[in-house]
Amino acid sequence: MSREDITLLKESLGKEELLRTLDDGEYAKTGFNYRSQATHDAIPAIAQIYLDRGYFLEMLTCLDRLADDEIFRLVYAFNRFDRCERHALDIDLKPTQAVATISQIHRSANWFEREVCEMFGVHFDGHQNLKRLLLPEDTDFHPLLKDFGRIEDAP
Amino acid sequence: MKPRKDAAALLDGETYFLNMGPQHPSMHGVLRLLLRLSGERILECEPVIGYAHRAHEKMAENRNYQMFLPNTSRVDYLGGMIYNLAYCQAIEKMLEIEVPERAEYIRVIVSELNRISSHLLWFGTFLLDLGGITPFLYTFDDREEILNILDRVTGSRLTYSYGRFGGVTQDVDQEFLSMSTAFIKRLRTHFSEYHKLVTGNVIFQGRCRGVGVISPDMARTYGVTGPCLRASGIPYDIRKAEPYGIYDRFDFDVATRNEGDNFARYEVRLDEMEQSCRIIEQAIANIPEGPIMPAKPKKRFKIPAGECYFAVESPRGLMGYYIVADGSDIPSRIKLRTPSFSNLSSMVEVLADTMVADTIAILGSIDLILPEVDR
Repeated sequence: MSREDITLLKESLGKEELLRTLDDGEYAKTGFNYRSQATHDAIPAIAQIYLDRGYFLEMLTCLDRLADDEIFRLVYAFNRFDRCERHALDIDLKPTQAVATISQIHRSANWFEREVCEMFGVHFDGHQNLKRLLLPEDTDFHPLLKDFGRIEDAP
Repeated sequence: MKPRKDAAALLDGETYFLNMGPQHPSMHGVLRLLLRLSGERILECEPVIGYAHRAHEKMAENRNYQMFLPNTSRVDYLGGMIYNLAYCQAIEKMLEIEVPERAEYIRVIVSELNRISSHLLWFGTFLLDLGGITPFLYTFDDREEILNILDRVTGSRLTYSYGRFGGVTQDVDQEFLSMSTAFIKRLRTHFSEYHKLVTGNVIFQGRCRGVGVISPDMARTYGVTGPCLRASGIPYDIRKAEPYGIYDRFDFDVATRNEGDNFARYEVRLDEMEQSCRIIEQAIANIPEGPIMPAKPKKRFKIPAGECYFAVESPRGLMGYYIVADGSDIPSRIKLRTPSFSNLSSMVEVLADTMVADTIAILGSIDLILPEVDR
């Protein structure tokens, strides 16, 4: 099962501390079979390994935790078609920190990253086309930030 | 007078842009495709989306868990029942609420009816896109029957809010069950009609076979799911891969094809309707008597800090709710992972190097719901 993939992931990266295992995900409760946390510069290598091992990127989103921990948390979910193997990967970013894009590795990340960028203002280094996706082109605000306020306050 | 250069020579080596949509007569909803063309060949395609963005994810953070319930069926108005029940199931998972047996069976029946109605609408509009108006009239007749059945029990025709945390709002009666049984019988006799009318048609075959091929690798890297993925030979169905509710009790097959073209997607959806009929039959045969809600339903739902990802098989593929709770009765974040969003993103590659005339056929075969893409 995933144990092998995780071992391989750690060996390929060479540095154990880049990928920190949080827990076994508790599938019955959270829907994730496995959960890990990585530093922001490790993501392209990790994404490549997931792709090579037959996984697809199911979801990528962001959580605004600025109020509590002064971080953005990116949540990547990788899964497989042949068996249920949903792995969550968390990356914590400081408010102004950028993260490398994986849109050249998993094509589905292209739009996911554009959406995170417009909704939260997180920048993805190396993305070919990081313009607005769902909002008008000239939008200069990030509506899913907690300090944006209520939806009625939108300009 | 100088001789006029003919049009082909003028265009030789030149490229130009064509906006297809957002108000194109055969475009589904408000999608705009920015096409770079050389003659009639598409060199590049950029889908421009967001015209139907209603900020559902932001709305979720402005209201409590119950108040978000009506939003869910509006995300995908053709698979509203499945979206609505999936949200309830996600919350039930977080709060560890037991759902009564009868409610579980009702959920399966209404979900599968909803899936058939979505596929029937797709069938009709897909053929409409290809220029055949008659099949549309046939499938809408069948679909109307489903809407009547669901209207009887839920009170709505499209945007159902039938689910509740722990069960469903209304019990079904014997009349509902016999109407469903009669409908399945009727639909089965119509399948052969559909095949006679459409499947063997030479023009239809010409516009579908070998057109818009999605390879298994392409499907994986773009996160394509649902009938589009199964038409590329990968038997991935959430009802089998991680059975939710009581789907593990039913005997049904996952429809697949290997070609990955428009025709394969068409065949997969037709097969799926038959499989849904099988599931409904088994559910009707085994539905027990009993309550449809837990004995003491809660009035106020405060969800302990934590998170949950819950995926279901919508008519278009993998639909996931990622819910983050902070201990209050208002969600901290709800991310909607919608299948059409990822399926549409693959068009960048699928439409490249095809002819303009095939664009509508390919898009039609993908079965896009734009409100679901834009959320």
